[in-house]
Amino acid sequence: MRASYVKNSTSGRIFDVFNVLFMVILAFVMVYPFWNQLIVSFNDGVDTARGGLYFWPREFTLDNYHYMFEKSNLAKGALISILRVVVGTVTTLFFSGLLAYVTTVKWFSGRRFTRFLFLITLYFSGGLVPTYLLINKLNLMDTFTVYWLPSLFSAYYMLLISSYMYNLPDALAESARIDGCNELMIYMKIIAPLCIPVFAAVAVFSAVSHWNSWFDVILYNSSGKWDTLQVYLRKILLDVEQVGKLADEQKQMAEMRKLTPQSIRAATTMIVTLPIMLSYPFFQRYFMSGITIGAVKE
Amino acid sequence: MQEIQTKAASTKQNTELLDRLRKIRKRLYRERELWFINSFALAWVIIFAYVPMYGIIYSFFDYFPGKKLSESEFVGLKYYIEFFTLPDAWLIIRNTLVISGLGLTIGFVSPILLALFINEIKSFKFKRLIQTISYLPHFVSWIVVASIIFTMLGSEGIVNDVLMKAGLINQPLSILGEGKYFWGLLTTSNIWKGVGWASIIYLAAIAGIDQELYQAGAVDGLGRFGMAWHITLPGIRPTVILLFILGIGSLLNAGFEQQLLLGTPMTREYHEVIDTYVYRYGIQLGRYSFATAVGFMSAIIGLALVLITNKLSKKLTDYSII
Repeated sequence: MRASYVKNSTSGRIFDVFNVLFMVILAFVMVYPFWNQLIVSFNDGVDTARGGLYFWPREFTLDNYHYMFEKSNLAKGALISILRVVVGTVTTLFFSGLLAYVTTVKWFSGRRFTRFLFLITLYFSGGLVPTYLLINKLNLMDTFTVYWLPSLFSAYYMLLISSYMYNLPDALAESARIDGCNELMIYMKIIAPLCIPVFAAVAVFSAVSHWNSWFDVILYNSSGKWDTLQVYLRKILLDVEQVGKLADEQKQMAEMRKLTPQSIRAATTMIVTLPIMLSYPFFQRYFMSGITIGAVKE
Repeated sequence: MQEIQTKAASTKQNTELLDRLRKIRKRLYRERELWFINSFALAWVIIFAYVPMYGIIYSFFDYFPGKKLSESEFVGLKYYIEFFTLPDAWLIIRNTLVISGLGLTIGFVSPILLALFINEIKSFKFKRLIQTISYLPHFVSWIVVASIIFTMLGSEGIVNDVLMKAGLINQPLSILGEGKYFWGLLTTSNIWKGVGWASIIYLAAIAGIDQELYQAGAVDGLGRFGMAWHITLPGIRPTVILLFILGIGSLLNAGFEQQLLLGTPMTREYHEVIDTYVYRYGIQLGRYSFATAVGFMSAIIGLALVLITNKLSKKLTDYSII
């Protein structure tokens, strides 16, 4: 390591102490908001409103979660969210990978042209309203298709995957071609398995972005038929009507008295965040490689 | 005689043309599978990227949904001019520029500083841990962030609670309800969410710096600060310039998810930016042509800014992205 090139001076040691201290504060600032939300979600709502809740639930309860699962369409929203993540990620991986493959076959005459058409989309787009009108014209409003079809091919993923494919030897595909393998088979059987690291990184990006997106849901699925988890949370967050409905329900049921909009919101937030948090340790090693590949190519 | 010659020449030309056509056909036949696969990608990109680009043409017409474009009246630049005559226009441009400006200064420098400090951590494990923690917020949605902000900064939230107990304030601050806090709130939350993630790219660039430079620096008697200043910073200069060019290009994209979630009618004077304005007028109020015009202007200016900064950077520093 390069630190060893430097003499360990007193000022250097003082800096180290402050640096570590700074990092600990930083880590606290990054993690505590989630922790705060977690303890609020496990604490009695009325008690939380009294304030002074810092590091641990004071009156532990599961009522907030209980209510969310019993009383709302949360389970349906979760199912749609999961379906969206799976379908969206699998399709974009397959098709963006296929596009990347086609644009890396060196003797293919349409390769530059196709690449060019896609690269332009990184710098310029028609914008919100023309896209909205197109989706409307294609009859994709209030369908599940609108979640995965408009993101089927991605210029950014194409760049990531193709920069990885460039480094594979041509002979692999060439020998399969001589053996009479067709292009789709070469992609699926030979090239794709060798690109697992970059596919893993892209899968993480895509899955996270599908899980987190909400704007296209309120834009294209205003009927609420295909509402995802994020949109449920948004409704609790901003929709005055929804909060009013919640309060009405609360009054009718004795056991719901101790809930507050704040505690219910915290519980929902945790339900939305938990899948990310739980899978985070597993996927975090993949995206490092992904973003650095992107850095080289950009 | 001459006729025969021209005829001969034209037959020769014809055979050449036929030859070329045959070659092209042969080539296309050899590439038929690739073209077949490619046709899906081309069809998709034309429909989902280029048709909306063509749709910008709506901004020059008085277009209403349900009406055909050919039946709509051509109005030229009417909507482009209309935007600038509205009393809101300057407010929106100001908000957009201020919010992006804060992002391009404080928001741009903070990941670089973070990367430099993380780089100085000696323990590999601790370094790894801090990195992992720092980009956690990048992976949650703006809705989750907004919900956390509502809980923590609300009048009963922990921030007001702590400030009151410390005796710094007498009554809860209305951080979310008052416009004057909005820019600070937005910039802070943008940095909180993105600083760790943005620092990855700088850390990768730092890792790519030739280790011999540090050895040479040590021989020349550079201390740690000297190395960071004379070796690490110049080493990541290309990355910094590249990301700055991209940042300039999105000067008019001040984000919109944050504004839509955190903004309230009370803060409108401070949170309304071009993108939220386009959403409100275009989608919510159905003024398609007008909103398309506003969106197109912002996109064109963004593109021009990228090209100009790119050219300047090429001239001044020899680095460019395109």
